[in-house]
Amino acid sequence: MQHHRVTISNRLGLHARAAARLVRRATQFASSVELEREDTGQSADGKSILGVLLLAAGQGTTLIIRTEGVDEERAAREIAELIRQGFGEEWSDGVF
Amino acid sequence: MGSSSFSRSRDTVLRGLAVSPGIGVGRALRLDERGRQQFYFIGISAAQVRGEIRRLHQALAQARTQLQETKVRVALELGYDHSYILDAHLLMLEDENLVGQLEHEIRTRRVNAEWAVRDVTDRVMAAYKHVGDPYLRERASDIEDVATRLMTVLSGQAKFDPSKLEQNVIIVSQDILPSTVAELDFNCVRGFVTDGGGMTSHSAIIARALKIPAVLGLHDVTRRVRTGDAVVVDGAAGEAILRPTKPVLRVYLAKREDEAARRARRIPHHEQPAETLDGVRIRLRANVELVPEIDSLPLFGAEGIGLYRSEFMFLHRLPELPSEEEQYELYSKLARMTGDAGASIRVFDLGGDKLTLPGFEAEQNPALGLRAVRLSLKVEPIFRTQLRAILRANRHGRLRVVLPLVSTIDELRRAKRIIEEVKHEMADAEVEHNAALPVGVMIEVPAAALMADLFAAEADFLSVGTNDLIQYLLAVDRTNENVSHLYQPLHPAVLRSIAHLVRVAEAARVPLELCGEMAADPLQAIALVGLGIKTLSLVPAAIPLVKNAIRSIEMARVRSLMSEAMKLASSKEVEELLASEMPRQAPEFFAALAIQP
Repeated sequence: MQHHRVTISNRLGLHARAAARLVRRATQFASSVELEREDTGQSADGKSILGVLLLAAGQGTTLIIRTEGVDEERAAREIAELIRQGFGEEWSDGVF
Repeated sequence: MGSSSFSRSRDTVLRGLAVSPGIGVGRALRLDERGRQQFYFIGISAAQVRGEIRRLHQALAQARTQLQETKVRVALELGYDHSYILDAHLLMLEDENLVGQLEHEIRTRRVNAEWAVRDVTDRVMAAYKHVGDPYLRERASDIEDVATRLMTVLSGQAKFDPSKLEQNVIIVSQDILPSTVAELDFNCVRGFVTDGGGMTSHSAIIARALKIPAVLGLHDVTRRVRTGDAVVVDGAAGEAILRPTKPVLRVYLAKREDEAARRARRIPHHEQPAETLDGVRIRLRANVELVPEIDSLPLFGAEGIGLYRSEFMFLHRLPELPSEEEQYELYSKLARMTGDAGASIRVFDLGGDKLTLPGFEAEQNPALGLRAVRLSLKVEPIFRTQLRAILRANRHGRLRVVLPLVSTIDELRRAKRIIEEVKHEMADAEVEHNAALPVGVMIEVPAAALMADLFAAEADFLSVGTNDLIQYLLAVDRTNENVSHLYQPLHPAVLRSIAHLVRVAEAARVPLELCGEMAADPLQAIALVGLGIKTLSLVPAAIPLVKNAIRSIEMARVRSLMSEAMKLASSKEVEELLASEMPRQAPEFFAALAIQP
């Protein structure tokens, strides 16, 4: 099992577009992906958009990413990277 | 209560409001509604579970294909970043958690895929509504969107069509919405049972109009019955018998035969006039809301139509409005069917508790809000279209228009001015029409009742709408079960208002009619006749009974009885007086009253 600690940096947090990107990325891996809010302990399946959205993780929230499976290392790294980069969406207009 | 609410025992008897008589026997069909779209609960057998899950997956796949196509189009037309919301929707359809819950629901609760989608997405949305972040709270609408898409796809598979029922059913629902009624296959509907609704609710009016046995106000019948359960409705006793055993079922089937035979005996007088023993002629007209009812009018001996509730045309199709042509066809039919007796068309009585037009928001106090003539005067194009259709159809008979909920003389004047303008426009454009169109005022607001002499001077006739007049006079919402006992048609204030209107109309020599539920109850109808009302408009099916009541009384005696009644202090005292006197005055008809408690 791998785990990474990462803080959400983009202004809008895990909104629909960001969550969609995250879930798309997570589902590319064979490993299971679990996200947990460090502050509340609430966790969600990283491959479930409804679960990820329900985390309601705003800017500044720290998440713990736990992956387990054959590609757990790469999965944890890439997902953490995506979050750290603010989902590459600094041009986000915040509509969605 | 708790556990017994879900009991599956046989012969469970529930008691509610007896709003429409008759015995109905059939299989329960549970309907539920959210917004305008309807979701049907269908219980499935263990053997059907796999097939239903396959249906769900086909629907998911089809919905995904739709979304992918849309996503590509959005990306091309609006740019790639805008297509992400659709990506979120796609991911929802692929969400294994959600799909797992849907399958679980179908498998363990044995429900159809539609119902599973509704239940599961309702739960998910409820979770979102608790999130503190307002942006994320809004995501509930994305889930709703996805759920609606799935439901639409599922229904596209033509699994359930309420207009094509295969067996006799008893409709089980929270309420009977007019829009639901419009879709149902009436050859198979044998009864209605509902959780809510009062004696004069729309549900009750509809059931009576269609002569379908109904028991309303059963509180939790929708939770006690599953689709497919056998149900007996005893509309006269106000009882619903769930899952009857064979012996009980036999009793009701025999009772149903008896009733049918008795009803067949009662109708034959339809060609005789409604005339009292001392020769006073009363005119009985029909209240009509659904088109199929029109054909049955001659059978019941109606003398024309006293109230055509034209807004019923809208019911199953809002937000689309009926075109002038469609209205013309329908009004022409009314005109031709009623001939010289004529038909009164009440202009669209929309808004309020009835129907909301698109673009108008729900109001906090709809009974006192923007409705009826207030709405017609505000949305003039709709009013003008209706008037044009009426004026054109008037060539085929004798139509009248009635303005609902008038409270100020200005409303009558404005409406009349618009009617004149429409006539001129039609004359200028050489559109064939008949300009001889009497304009009446519905007296439903106490202010209009008090000012009736002034309305009588400017209107061609007055029409008392007792349902609303009682509601506004006594400040009682007739559908609110907490106060519905205060909805008293025989309240002396109601009787005095009607007596006042009779005096005013006679003095002004203006025709006065009365329509409303009161007119369909033989005892109350006699009370109205005793107050001096000469034209009653009522549900067609009640006409033979009321006619028999009228043929059994003497006008002079009923008149003096009612002048006694008006001096009494309460509705109860009036009822007691009538219940003790009428069996004496008209033993043949009212004997049954004497033995009732």
